[in-house]
Amino acid sequence: MIRRFHVVAIPIRIVVNNFGDHNPDGMMYVLKENESKVKELVRKNPFTQVELVQPLTIRANEGDTVEILFENQLPFATGMHFQDLDYNVLTSDGTNAGFNPSSLAECGETILYRVNATHEGICFFTDLGNVSSTEDGSSIQGLFGTLLVEKRGSWWTDPVTGGPLNSGVFADIHNPFLPSFREYAWFFSDEMEVDDLTGNRPLNPLTNQEAESFHGVNYRYEPLHNRIKLIEEGVVAPESDGEEVHHDSWVFGDPATPIMCGYRDDPAIIRLIHAGVKETHVFHYHVHQWLRDSTNMNSEIVDAQAISPQSHYTVQPLYGLGSLHGAIGDVVVHCHLYPHFEVGMWGMNRIFDTLQDGSQCYPNGKPIAPLQPLPDRPCPPEPTKARPGFPNFIPGKVGCKAPRPPLGIVGGREMTELEKNAAVPNARPGAVFADSCLGNPVVLEFNVSVIELPLVYNKQGWNDPKGRIYVLDEHLDDVLSGKKEPEPLVLYAPAGSCIRMNFTNRMPHLLDGDAFQLVTRTYEVGFHVHFVKFDVLVSDGANVGWNYDSSVLPGETIRYEWFADTELKAFFFHDHLFPVSHQQHGIFGSCVIQPRFSEFYDSKTGEEVDHGTEITVVHPIIPDYRDFALFVQDFALLFDKDGCPIQPPPFPGSQDDPGIFAVNYKNEPLQFRLGKNCDPAYSFSSYVNGDPITPILRAYKGDPIRIRLLQGAHEESHSFNVHGLKWKAERPSNDSQLRSQQHIGISESFTLEMDIPRAGDYLWAFGDEEDVWNGTWGLIRAFDQEVNNLIPLPDRPLPPPRTKPLPKATGKPPAPADPQCSLPPEVAHNPPIRRYRVVAFQTPIVYNSFGDHDPFGIIFALEEDVEDILCGKKNPEPLVLRGNSGDLVEVTLTSRLKFDLFPFPDGIHPYPPVKEQAVYPPSLRISLHVNMLDYDVTTSSGDTVGFNPDQTVGPGETITYRWHVQENIGTCAMWDMADLRNHRSFGTFGAFIAEPRFTTYLDPRTLKPVKTGANVILRHPFNGDFREFVLIMHDGVRLVDKQDQLIIDPLAGVIPEADPDDEVDTYDFGSRGFNYRTERLINRYRKHPVLSDLFSSKVFGDPATPVFEAYPSDPVVVRLTNPSERRRSHTFHLHGHNWKFDPRDIDSRIDSYVGHLVPGVTEDLLLIGGAGGIFNIPGDYMYRSGNIRWDIEQGMWGIFRVHDKVMPHLPILER
Amino acid sequence: MIHKFSNSDSYNTIHDQALEDYFRAGIGYKALILTPSYPFLFIGEILSLIEDHIELMVQTTHFAQLENRTWLIHVHNIEVFYIEFPGEPCIPELNDIA
Repeated sequence: MIRRFHVVAIPIRIVVNNFGDHNPDGMMYVLKENESKVKELVRKNPFTQVELVQPLTIRANEGDTVEILFENQLPFATGMHFQDLDYNVLTSDGTNAGFNPSSLAECGETILYRVNATHEGICFFTDLGNVSSTEDGSSIQGLFGTLLVEKRGSWWTDPVTGGPLNSGVFADIHNPFLPSFREYAWFFSDEMEVDDLTGNRPLNPLTNQEAESFHGVNYRYEPLHNRIKLIEEGVVAPESDGEEVHHDSWVFGDPATPIMCGYRDDPAIIRLIHAGVKETHVFHYHVHQWLRDSTNMNSEIVDAQAISPQSHYTVQPLYGLGSLHGAIGDVVVHCHLYPHFEVGMWGMNRIFDTLQDGSQCYPNGKPIAPLQPLPDRPCPPEPTKARPGFPNFIPGKVGCKAPRPPLGIVGGREMTELEKNAAVPNARPGAVFADSCLGNPVVLEFNVSVIELPLVYNKQGWNDPKGRIYVLDEHLDDVLSGKKEPEPLVLYAPAGSCIRMNFTNRMPHLLDGDAFQLVTRTYEVGFHVHFVKFDVLVSDGANVGWNYDSSVLPGETIRYEWFADTELKAFFFHDHLFPVSHQQHGIFGSCVIQPRFSEFYDSKTGEEVDHGTEITVVHPIIPDYRDFALFVQDFALLFDKDGCPIQPPPFPGSQDDPGIFAVNYKNEPLQFRLGKNCDPAYSFSSYVNGDPITPILRAYKGDPIRIRLLQGAHEESHSFNVHGLKWKAERPSNDSQLRSQQHIGISESFTLEMDIPRAGDYLWAFGDEEDVWNGTWGLIRAFDQEVNNLIPLPDRPLPPPRTKPLPKATGKPPAPADPQCSLPPEVAHNPPIRRYRVVAFQTPIVYNSFGDHDPFGIIFALEEDVEDILCGKKNPEPLVLRGNSGDLVEVTLTSRLKFDLFPFPDGIHPYPPVKEQAVYPPSLRISLHVNMLDYDVTTSSGDTVGFNPDQTVGPGETITYRWHVQENIGTCAMWDMADLRNHRSFGTFGAFIAEPRFTTYLDPRTLKPVKTGANVILRHPFNGDFREFVLIMHDGVRLVDKQDQLIIDPLAGVIPEADPDDEVDTYDFGSRGFNYRTERLINRYRKHPVLSDLFSSKVFGDPATPVFEAYPSDPVVVRLTNPSERRRSHTFHLHGHNWKFDPRDIDSRIDSYVGHLVPGVTEDLLLIGGAGGIFNIPGDYMYRSGNIRWDIEQGMWGIFRVHDKVMPHLPILER
Repeated sequence: MIHKFSNSDSYNTIHDQALEDYFRAGIGYKALILTPSYPFLFIGEILSLIEDHIELMVQTTHFAQLENRTWLIHVHNIEVFYIEFPGEPCIPELNDIA
């Protein structure tokens, strides 16, 4: 079937909320049939919202061909680039890239795109004619939309009228064979231009400074800084402070942001799209859970999902709206990054229990829009006077804060008559309007308080004088008297439990002011939980929409009830009333739902417990294990021992990345671990510096462990890496990929399950440079002999009695490791041995033809290539090594580092910066760490950590690591661990590719065997030939231009020019690219200032970044990694191609992008249909970052060229 | 080919028959059964055999809501099982924390 749309790109004024905030320079795609109507409405309503001004959402079915006549009314060339669809790249890519003809439309012109909807899901589209990251750019100003592809045979209707629908973010989808469902398109976007009613940038009335930039949903945002003005003026709720009523419809009425309406139990899908340009957000949807991979029943269940720019996910809540227990009420949906949440990136899912036919009103008199019942579901009951349905049974008062829930507060009120009519038959504290527990389960009861106390974060006395934490009531005295060290509260419960929480607020009314924050009256606090089932009206621990305010005042106790329906994982809990103000002080914790019948013991004493960050879990059937919880924190607002603030913001109350980083209220900054010899190579060594104060997770060798990975605060992405261990990415699936790295954003939860094969110290680290530098690392320590403060697992052999004394700090570097004395744990007898001789040395690296270069490059190269590199015959590339499944790989590393070739011999490394600069002189030692492979961590991990021997080498020294390729796991990242500050961003990284057994690696031009290279042919007797392209994405690079002037990126690369007021976080500094190359667009723009030509090889020749070549249908695998080094998450997108999210799992979803790219990440992209996509169409396909701000300008893009005829330099594959 | 198929049939018949016989001998005793489908784990007393279905009075599964009732489990759906005959090791006691 052919579906046809006429789409117009228009300039449009976008009013983003009811306060008149607007973008005067907005842009959007709109159907031609709505163009004049929307323009007229906007002209007539300059300061009020126009519903038609929304991201264009059109629909088609699987198997359809979609023809889009695109008309450009913007003053520059634009187009529509479609992700996930199949199309002819020469005519319908929506770009002007490589040697393709332009498929952009100039101003006033039209172009016809023809695309094929091959598979169900989200096909995001945006413009690539103007990729400026400034407000002159198109994406940032709103030029994006989506084509939603439904199951074959579907049709869709307007949820309000029931009539047909040509476009719109909300629709009801129907199919003759499948249940009807509600579909909601939810577009996050960020950094859009916004002015207030006066035409000026909005101000924050609390700080009188410019408010945080736009972070919104579907072109709308509902920031606290607007709503709080009504409180300050005494218009509403004058007794309130602000943050606690931010989402309260009783006070303010409904927000401008989307409210996704449905009836209880309606099947629903949220099409979650990140159309923004910069930040990786975390989408969180209260009460509901969904499969991380919607097509794979064995994927992880999540209720918070990080999403990077130009990525998208299908969120299909399990059990429909209201979840298993059929909750009703307002369910907040938001970005969990608190500064984004505060500035308005939230909306709601409103679940009604009575029919809405347009005759009802909200409590403030606003009509409730009609909502068609889904045709295949029972019609909800009509509202009556006695049973008016949500929200009209709630005894609230418009203009005042929401009422407190009935029954919940100890000593509080009973139900009103209307509430009694709406309540479940066995209404009880915490479960009044939904019976959260199925049947009559076992009940566990916890008594928890929240308190304020000083927290000391490290041995140097860095402290938070206003630490705020959850604590079990029975520990109050011990924690307050200092007998018990504070740690994030972690509770344990077996699956199937009903959990009753008696929660007491013991905090002061005020959060005092200081260099970080203004005085805030944080007088109430809640206990909001993830994952478990609860009555959202009374147990949300929040104050949302027309719900109750389920928080508690100082001195009061509130009762909540939750049900853990099955073994979940670690569920996150935190305050939802003042989290922006005080969660970063420590108000977070977790409850882990363990397998049913588990018992929990203190790992030190063996006493039965129900709490603690390190415990031992014993189970009658499954293997016993150690359970560890790690919470990473940013925005930790600490003072040094002299009371000076550490990394204060520019002014108190600013959300501009204040503070520092930590894990479980502790950090171990590297600046304090130089030791007497001032060599960074021993920063992680416990011999030199003693053990870190951060968690050391203890086990005996062979023990199974589960790490519960969480983020407690507050805004940023982090990259968790474990050196020497690996786990299944999708824990429930036996087909899952292995991983030793995990991206995490606040409120996400991951269970990393693995065994520890051998005794030794394993480094865990949040592995970007700034995080590690500031101390977010620690150890997993596996003992080979008994220690007296660690109980053995009951189902494992007893550890042998101790015969060797435990190692102690000596202040001296450890002895060198001898990798030849041991074999990797999983290696077979007599494995084939593959040897590489690698040299680390300094050499300039030229990053592009415009002369941008790194004069202080440090690289790894094969010994035989060193000469050619040093004499300039070869421009260096990152080292790529390979091995086959079963191989024992012996890598001999030699250091040839020279002190006088370092740029900052004095130890002060000013750019790219990190927080808390300090002296850290360059190390002449170096090492090579690889993730995911199998090796003895005490000799071959490349880490000199804990009490392991030294695995680094000094100048002229040599070490031979032994790595075992346990299976063909594909991409592994490699980097140096001797000096993360002075080495890594200069080039000390690469990749190791674990290939199938019997594979040989050939040069794609000569077909001769090669030992290294980013572009090879893999030849295999059964699999045939594959082209393998290795892309190493990296950032934080220090470049100088051809005049040797330092390039301060990202702002130096902004097109047309940077706004001097642009904020750049520390982790955005530095240049970026692929494989030691970058095609910074500013260089091209200076030569030929036409935005739409910037990717054109016809104008500029090919980019400096790799141009990978193939013939149509060639099997291709892209190996993608990011071994270095900043915390900013990137997205990778390859035009015109798709792959399986998990290449080992046939059930996994199909993607055309990869998000969450942070240090340590590894991905394998097996292109479906091979080169040219499923239609094998020749042409130039861009690969690139999805971050408009600032990656693409920074040169993070290149070309994959599919030739239409045989080229003399490129032999065809053996097929 | 026909010969092979008939052989294969007879092996399957013998296999199923042996299973049924074994479970029939276990009537009145406690059994632990793992299945690949929901709810995966069953512990309880074998009540009877109904053709090739085992009738089990299930005391324990993963989910308390499905316990204390009779389940019929087809022998083909059993991946792992153990019957606690007199004198044999006991099936672990599975108790909720109360």
